[in-house]
Amino acid sequence: MSQALETSYAPPLPGKPSIARNRSLNGAKLWRKLKPFLYLLPALLLLGIWMYRPLLNTFYLAFHKWGMVPGTSPEFVGFDNFTRLMENKSFLSSIGNTLFYTAGLLPFSILIPLLLATVTHQMEGRMKNVYRALFFVPMILAPVSVSAIWRWLFHPSNGLVNDVLLRLGAISQPIAYFSDPSFAKWLILFITGWKMVGFSTIMFSAALTGINREYYEAAAIDGAGSMKQFFRLTVPLMSPMILFMLTMSILFSSQWTFAYIDILTTGGPYGTSTNVYYEMYKYAFSNLNAGFSAAAALLFFIVFGVISLTLNQLSRRYSFYDN
Amino acid sequence: MTKAKKGISALLALTTAVGLSACGSAAGSSGEAEQGKLDPANPTKITFYSYSLAAPTMKAGMEHLIQEFNDTIGKEKGVVVEAVADPTYQQYKADISAGKPVDIVQHTFSTLDASRLNLGFKAYEDVFPKDQLEEHLKGIEPNALELGKIDGKMYGLAFTFSTPIVFMNGKLFRDAGLDPTTPPKTWADIKEASLKIKAATGKDGFGLAPNNGWTTEGLILSNGGEVLADDRKSVKFAEPAAVEAIEMWQDMYKNGAHAVGAEAELAEQFMAGNMGMYITSTALYSGIRKASEAGGWDVYGTGLPQFGDKPSIPVNSGSMLAVRPDSPTKNAAVWEFIKFVTGDRGYTIITSEIGYLPLRTALADDPNGLKDFIDKHPLYRTNLEQLQRIHPVAIWPGEYASEITTLFSDAISKSVISDSNVAETLQKAADEINKMIQ
Repeated sequence: MSQALETSYAPPLPGKPSIARNRSLNGAKLWRKLKPFLYLLPALLLLGIWMYRPLLNTFYLAFHKWGMVPGTSPEFVGFDNFTRLMENKSFLSSIGNTLFYTAGLLPFSILIPLLLATVTHQMEGRMKNVYRALFFVPMILAPVSVSAIWRWLFHPSNGLVNDVLLRLGAISQPIAYFSDPSFAKWLILFITGWKMVGFSTIMFSAALTGINREYYEAAAIDGAGSMKQFFRLTVPLMSPMILFMLTMSILFSSQWTFAYIDILTTGGPYGTSTNVYYEMYKYAFSNLNAGFSAAAALLFFIVFGVISLTLNQLSRRYSFYDN
Repeated sequence: MTKAKKGISALLALTTAVGLSACGSAAGSSGEAEQGKLDPANPTKITFYSYSLAAPTMKAGMEHLIQEFNDTIGKEKGVVVEAVADPTYQQYKADISAGKPVDIVQHTFSTLDASRLNLGFKAYEDVFPKDQLEEHLKGIEPNALELGKIDGKMYGLAFTFSTPIVFMNGKLFRDAGLDPTTPPKTWADIKEASLKIKAATGKDGFGLAPNNGWTTEGLILSNGGEVLADDRKSVKFAEPAAVEAIEMWQDMYKNGAHAVGAEAELAEQFMAGNMGMYITSTALYSGIRKASEAGGWDVYGTGLPQFGDKPSIPVNSGSMLAVRPDSPTKNAAVWEFIKFVTGDRGYTIITSEIGYLPLRTALADDPNGLKDFIDKHPLYRTNLEQLQRIHPVAIWPGEYASEITTLFSDAISKSVISDSNVAETLQKAADEINKMIQ
């Protein structure tokens, strides 16, 4: 009976209201199919509005010229934005800096935090949390205030760093660190890294607490020293978190350096400390050339897409899950 | 449910309003300047985006200027000015893009053409009554009026304004055995004085920020060079006279006669009493004065140094007022504000409380105006004298203005700070810019 009612091509029986019932049951079936999507709807809507619509818009704008002024419409320019981008020297040098920041941040997001987390993990009592809090504090400070403090420390005439170095006789003339191409980008990297260390340390510490103590006891009984335990036990068991932080660090290094570039050097001196995100921001909001900025964004969408897919594969292959 | 309905209708109303205002701005660009009627009972609100409001040395004066307008003329005629601080000249662009009403902008000179083309700024002749405009412009320094004109129309009225001034720390001068009342006149004098101050006091003798953004042009022009060709179709800052001027600057920077650092750092150094001479705009004068009183030293000032016996050619810093009212009522409201701030009372506040020049030059000798103030601060006489010889800063050709500004400024910084070959560095930048604008 129920079988007959559920198949929609079953011939209706005369004199019975089977069609209406058929419809309502069809409705129930539809409802059952729709239900999961309704649960997903809020998330899909938010993703659609805030991620996919802007993404599609970026694809569209990359082939247009537009100053974003209301009442004006984008003008189609084909691949013009891309050819101009490839000829733009400041864009090309910003790619080099982006690579510099990405590679340079890895010690701050992986190596140093891994050591700090392991060392503090072995501590007992209250000091463990005191140390972890100390590492984490830079992370929660506002980038603007952090920048102001570093700017004062490295001030050419009134700064503490120059003062100490001059007194020690290490330098004979004060250095304008943020106006000197041989220091500016290293300082941006260092400040971003200093802020990052705390975040990674907390993440690694959390991962460490999840590791079963018994492994270490067993290893110790077998005669493994602390170095051996670190490389043979800690590192493999932490591999999912390490690969996750690696992905985060590579993909977000450009964003994390952005605030310090903007406040401390505005990309200078003569464009030597800028990165692609800062250049894109300038194209769009300083030069009011949304199309040009979108073209740069599109190129980097592809580059970062390839990077994250590769890292995803690596993560699948090399992560070890202790289930 | 009713809430949702209300929300939807509000959204609809908003969309319609945005649509309508967009139509308004598109339609208002041509035709006669119609002036709406202002109503004191129902005041018209206009917005004013100002970078001075974001600078510690200028904020109080600018706030006073706006407040006084709102309390007097504004109240009487029915105009309320809402001020927005815009430290990096980005906020007005972002707000125009977002469709917010941006009526008046304290606009810098070099990117005016870009704003005219891209952001819907309007010519004064197109939105204000012609006879009143002519009447109002009388008494303003004619050289200054020329600066905001593009293709014969005025897209900006000179507002807050300075010529480059060499500020001197009297105490450091005397410590080095120099007399601040006979200031250095040429660049060679500057270098000599700077080295003497450094040797005697251990403090830097001189500073001009490589990224100053405007004085550089005066330096090039003073040596007989050019920045942008008259037809605005090519740049000329890589020609020998300009290169020679920048080489002189590089020599000072490299040979101990120059403080290191960017604009903000040099200003801080000078105000802390740690630098002998510093070239900047008088916009910083009120701040410098306070710092010198607190630090126990005295300030002197002289004009832009010259090369040999060629008189120097100063350029102007500062801003003009660019407008984009989008209705006849706003035309009238904006016009009231412009008349006030660039009138006698406006310039009295601007000069005495911020430090910029009185572009109504007669005020300087008017006992009811600024005579007392200027007699007390003779530095303004130098500034007014330089106004006679002023040459406008380059207004870069529209579409690429921001890119060109960056390329030019980066090339200058690189030439001064690094050991690079000045001629080659400038030529490379010039080639890149010429490719854009030709």
